[in-house]
Order: sequence, then structure tokens, then C-alpha cells
Amino acid sequence: MKQLMIVLGVALTLGVQAVALAQTRPDFSGTWRLNVGKSGPNVAGNTPNIPFPSQIAVKQTPTDISVESTSVRQQPVSAVFKLDGSKVTVQAPEGISETGEAKFDGGNLVITSRRSFSSPAGDVVVDFKEIWSLSGSMLTIEKTRTQSGDTSNSKAVYDKT
Amino acid sequence: MRMKLAFATISAGMLLAATVPVLAHHSFSATYDGNKPITLKGTVSKLGWQNPHAHIYVDVKNPDGKVVTWEVESAGPTALLKQGLRKEDFIGAEVVIKGFLAKDGTPTVNASSFTLVESKKEFVNEQTTP
Repeated sequence: MKQLMIVLGVALTLGVQAVALAQTRPDFSGTWRLNVGKSGPNVAGNTPNIPFPSQIAVKQTPTDISVESTSVRQQPVSAVFKLDGSKVTVQAPEGISETGEAKFDGGNLVITSRRSFSSPAGDVVVDFKEIWSLSGSMLTIEKTRTQSGDTSNSKAVYDKT
Repeated sequence: MRMKLAFATISAGMLLAATVPVLAHHSFSATYDGNKPITLKGTVSKLGWQNPHAHIYVDVKNPDGKVVTWEVESAGPTALLKQGLRKEDFIGAEVVIKGFLAKDGTPTVNASSFTLVESKKEFVNEQTTP
């Protein structure tokens, strides 16, 4: 009887945790298109301050989130992040090395990544931090770019297609 | 015959004149790599103050001490003047540029913004050509 109570207690606790986790984790799955009008200034076009993709395709499971970013005439960048925050390799265009990690912080998804590539000025390292939040069929991404000790921020809004 | 030759020459000239601005006014995504943002710090050595894009030539010292001259494509003079930048502000000025590398690997960037260090004059590119 005691053993049965313990088993039931553990099962109930786990069940409650699973429900709580599902409630706090929004599902970002879908195809998202950049809404320039709703976004911050200079997120797209000729010279964005911080590069934002024009479209993002997302597939989310309880353990992983797959993100493929595409932009006009630019090669895509994709990754399958583990939601436990472990580091993964980002599939970046030739000449770019990138690693990143993703984890939930309450209702937000936080993706951090480090990109490196060579240039005529030597090796370049750029750190990005993205905070994703969902509101209905609108995805907002706040992105920070840190490079050579300089940090800049920008915000982009995406509509679900 | 002479008339025909003159007509052909004028036509060729007009065609070339029409082609040059089209070539000069290219889109960002065709020439620059949106996946490669870069920040540069250097001294302006030359300025191309012309439409549709001003070109700023900047000497940047690499970590190994070698100086590389970068070509920085900016907005045109009208947009620069609108933000308080004059032709005289550039030569010899120390500048910090944020932009994107050219796809062809040359020391060329498209400036999304830049700051003249001493005068603290800033420019933010607001063009939206895809």
C-alpha cells in the first residue's frame, strides 16, 4: 500500500511538472515572414544594423527546435537546437563557423550563438543573442549583436504564414 | 553614311550612359553577404562623393600590423548631408564603421552606420533596397 502511494505520488508529481512545462513553453513551429512595418528601424533592406532573415521555418518538439533562416539572395542558415541548452553546430554557409545553444526562459526562447569567419581585416567573431516571444500569430525577436567590444540591439516582428 | 555612323555613335553613347547608373545602383543582397557583419576602425584616406553612393576609402590596421585600404559603400551625398555630414568632414578622420562584407572577398563593405570619432558625427543608412 505504501509503495503504491509512493508510485502514485511520483507519477502525479511528474504529470504536474509536464503540464506546467507544456504551459510555459509556447510552440514556435511554423513559417514566419518578416514584417518590416512592425519591426524596428533598419532590420532589413539595404543595410540592416543587425541581420534578420526575411523568413524563418521552425519545427519544435518537446526536446528540440529546428530553425532555418533564409533571406533574399543570401545562403540559408539552419540548426537543430537541443532545448536543454547544450551547444550545437549551426549549418552556416561556406566560410562561416557557428555554434549555438537554445533554452527556454519562462515563455521566451533564448538562442545564443557565436559566428566566426575570415576577412581581409583578419578573423572576425560575432556573438548574437536572440530572445523569441510569441503573441498569437506574431513572433517577436529581440536580437543583440556583440562584436569587437561593441554591442547593438534591434527588434524584428514576424507574421505566421 | 556619315549620318548613319553619327546616329550609331550617339545611340551607343546613350545606351552606355543609361547602363552606368543601373550598374552603380545595385541591391545590397546581390553584392554583400548579410551573414557577415563586420566592424572596422580606421582613417579615411580618400572620398568618392558621388551619386548614387558615396565611397569612403579607409585605411585599417590589421592585428598583424598590415594596413589594408577598405572601400566603404555608403548612401549618396544627399543622404549624408541630410544627417549633417559634409564632404570636408571625412579626409583624415578616424572612423568606426559597421557594415557587411562583400560576397567577393575583397576589402569592401556596405556601411549600415558609421561614426566619425573626433567630431562624433554619426550616419545611419536608411535605404531599403532588398
